[in-house]
Amino acid sequence: MGTASVQLFPEFISETLGLPGVIGEVIGALVAAAVVGNIVLAFTGVAGPWAKRKITAAFTDRIAVNRVGPFGLLIIPASAVQLLAKELIIPEGVDRPTWDLAPIVLPASALLGFAVIPMGRLGPVNLQLADPEVGLALVFAFASIASVSLVMAGYASNNKYSMLGGLRAVAQNLAYEIPLIVTAMSVVIFAGTLQTSAIVGAQTEVLFSVAGFDVPTWYAFVNPFAFVLFLTANMAEIGRNPFDIPEAPTEIVAGYQTEYSSAYFVLFYLGEFVHIFLGGAILAVTFLGGASGPGPESIGFLWFVAKIWGFFLFTQWARSALPRVRIDQLIEIGWKGMLVLSFANLVLTAVIVGVIA
Amino acid sequence: MSLERPDTPDDATIERTPDELAELLGDLVVGRDDHRNAPGFVIRPDTVQQTLSRLKEEAGYDHLSLVTAQEYENRYESIYHLKKFDDPTQEVSVVVPADTDDPVSESGEPVFRTADWHEREAYDLIGIEYDDHPDLRRILLPETWQGHPLSIGYDKDRPQIATLPEHANPLEDHHRDAESDTMFLNIGPHHPATHGVLHLKTILDGEQVIDVEPDIGYLHRCEEQMAQNGTYRHQIMPYPDRWDYISAGLLNEWAYARAAEDLAEIEVPEYAQVIRTMGAEMCRIAAHMLALATFALDVNGDFTATFMYAINDRERVQNLLEDLTGQRLMFNYFRLGGVVWDLPEPREEFFSKTRDFLDQLPGSVEEYHNLVTSNEIFQMRTIDTGILPPDVAKNYGATGPVARGSGVDYDLRRDDPYGYYDELDWDVVTEDGCDNYSRLLVRMREVEESAKIIGQCVDLLEDWPEDERNIQSNVPRTLRPDDDAEIYRAVEAAKGELGIYIRADGTDKPARFKIRSPCFSNLQTLPEMANGEYIPDVIAALGSLDIVLGEVDR
Repeated sequence: MGTASVQLFPEFISETLGLPGVIGEVIGALVAAAVVGNIVLAFTGVAGPWAKRKITAAFTDRIAVNRVGPFGLLIIPASAVQLLAKELIIPEGVDRPTWDLAPIVLPASALLGFAVIPMGRLGPVNLQLADPEVGLALVFAFASIASVSLVMAGYASNNKYSMLGGLRAVAQNLAYEIPLIVTAMSVVIFAGTLQTSAIVGAQTEVLFSVAGFDVPTWYAFVNPFAFVLFLTANMAEIGRNPFDIPEAPTEIVAGYQTEYSSAYFVLFYLGEFVHIFLGGAILAVTFLGGASGPGPESIGFLWFVAKIWGFFLFTQWARSALPRVRIDQLIEIGWKGMLVLSFANLVLTAVIVGVIA
Repeated sequence: MSLERPDTPDDATIERTPDELAELLGDLVVGRDDHRNAPGFVIRPDTVQQTLSRLKEEAGYDHLSLVTAQEYENRYESIYHLKKFDDPTQEVSVVVPADTDDPVSESGEPVFRTADWHEREAYDLIGIEYDDHPDLRRILLPETWQGHPLSIGYDKDRPQIATLPEHANPLEDHHRDAESDTMFLNIGPHHPATHGVLHLKTILDGEQVIDVEPDIGYLHRCEEQMAQNGTYRHQIMPYPDRWDYISAGLLNEWAYARAAEDLAEIEVPEYAQVIRTMGAEMCRIAAHMLALATFALDVNGDFTATFMYAINDRERVQNLLEDLTGQRLMFNYFRLGGVVWDLPEPREEFFSKTRDFLDQLPGSVEEYHNLVTSNEIFQMRTIDTGILPPDVAKNYGATGPVARGSGVDYDLRRDDPYGYYDELDWDVVTEDGCDNYSRLLVRMREVEESAKIIGQCVDLLEDWPEDERNIQSNVPRTLRPDDDAEIYRAVEAAKGELGIYIRADGTDKPARFKIRSPCFSNLQTLPEMANGEYIPDVIAALGSLDIVLGEVDR
């Protein structure tokens, strides 16, 4: 397993530590997973209490947090303490343990998805935990567990707003995951594999050169139509404007998370942010050349980080600028528009690839 | 001039003298009780519907502006203040006395839908019962309240103890309808989109609204009674700021000023009228900016940039108002007979600040059109949702941008001129869409018209000769309007027709002070707009009504 050229992260650790055999594999895997998981969690830690506020403030002519520490950065630990110190209110009549499990399932599913994401190299280290041949299918499978969590939360909360939010989440995810995956299949047809590292590897050639600048074969350039489709479906998948319908704070209070407070609330928020980053990671892998970018391959990880943060920025931009669609309009766009377009794209891609290759 | 309204050759618009009206009503009239603003016809309590429908059908009085109820020593009394949408200067009052021991009066609801809430309020606060009313319950006070607070015999020391089971339980059995499989949902009183403490009792079929019933009264602060305990000259003026507290203060103050000045026959110097007009239009811009901001919140979600942009623009007007009045929210700037002080010195600075604001405003409005009204998703969300046909709007007594968004060409600034409006060049804005989008568009276009008015006022004030800058006329220290003088006067506030009814009893305090809140009447139309729509559209419709609970509940 693994591509021949680069060693995977767990193997690198067990080799560096000089631990052979099964024990080495287990320790290497655990350490590597902890590192990757913590990198992702650190992103959300920065994004949630600080970056998101700063970004939104920049969009709306405000300043946002600037009192706690340089640039308000210490708001991050302050918020963490504050949020965890709040009382966890457990409403009467909630369906436990479903109610307790929902906030764990959401971040867990999103974090699991990062297991197969090739995050690029940082020096000698290749930050990828596993590289199975069905990587892309796996990451979509992990990501879609999130909707289960939303339904659990919505149903178990014993609250009508939560219930409506949960129902909306199901309707939305059903309508948008199919176009999302079908559009991703068109990439798979191009690359000829589901293996994430191989998909990234297929995007390193030169598409054409403009004034000495090489445009790579990122699938966003090869098939911009599919890229836009995928981006739109991705916004719905992570539930951000114009598709933030499961939460829709001015309509159904906070949707499925209405009844959650304290640590559970933090877990939901965390899960949502990890989900956004996972959405960005999937987008980067399938359409934006993964960790590729100018400069040596050993700083690829930085490019990867820039890409997923770019996607995060994009979601915040949409949030500031776009109205949200209504639930029936959302379903209509999903089933009557996106689904048809994504299948058209798939068939067209298959025909073109079949004719050329 | 632009203020001319197109001629509509219609019998309904023909002005009738009081005697002709008396002739029309024939033996329905049992007496006369003329008010300062209108002839008043006393009728028997069982002929209300007959009288109102005759006035509506045959004389064209199609706007029931207000129902005032009050108790005298020897009788109860309901007054139906009627006007015409085509010409609100034609007014008539229908006075319905009711027996002290058995205060029952026929309901006007079958003729004017708007009477529903007005009569419920009269029942709640005064204690008059309306026969044939579809739903005579308390509206402002809790259902368990003992006594009627504005009636003469009300015992205010009586403890209001209501045990928990006595309170209406929103989850009672009748909401659980097994056959139609509906869901009852409380939207509010604490909900992000109810713009204050409004409670919508909603019945849903899936995401679709089958029925919605606004439940108000959470912000009832006895404003009418407080005004009745204040002296005309100084003590009442601070209260209007607190009705529509969303920076529409000067507009509200004008409502009281106009009613009290006409009642006590006080002249206002022209210079003061120009300042009032300018200040009032600044308030209108501020109020409409907030309406736009919160509507964007409702439709876009709570991270929308539009909200902050509109708040920033509102802030600029607020700064001007602060310079003018010394206050940012509760201005207390008008006085009977004028305003409290002249423009801030140095005047040139104030004028140039105002002009700067007016210069940048078109750019801002352009930005909102780019960001909001021309956005396809926004149009998809708001066009053809929350439909309010013009005849329904009139029937409910809807006024202001809500009525004008339904194509009802009705604006008191032009139709019942006061202040300096009839000397200035501006247009009444109407849109024919009757939907959420039209109502927003009306507000955005009105901002531009207000800017036009302010610009003209600034020009006038700048050239005003220094020795003629008279900000207040001579007003007696203590005002005692004639005993039993009654008046109903309205102005065009940010949300619509804001009217005040005052009955004087020869003392320096009003015997009855009644507020006609435009939001109160406008909110009544919500079920008409909402039924059959999706939850998000109901929220948008509520946002497009632009209610302020401080004014609804008073």
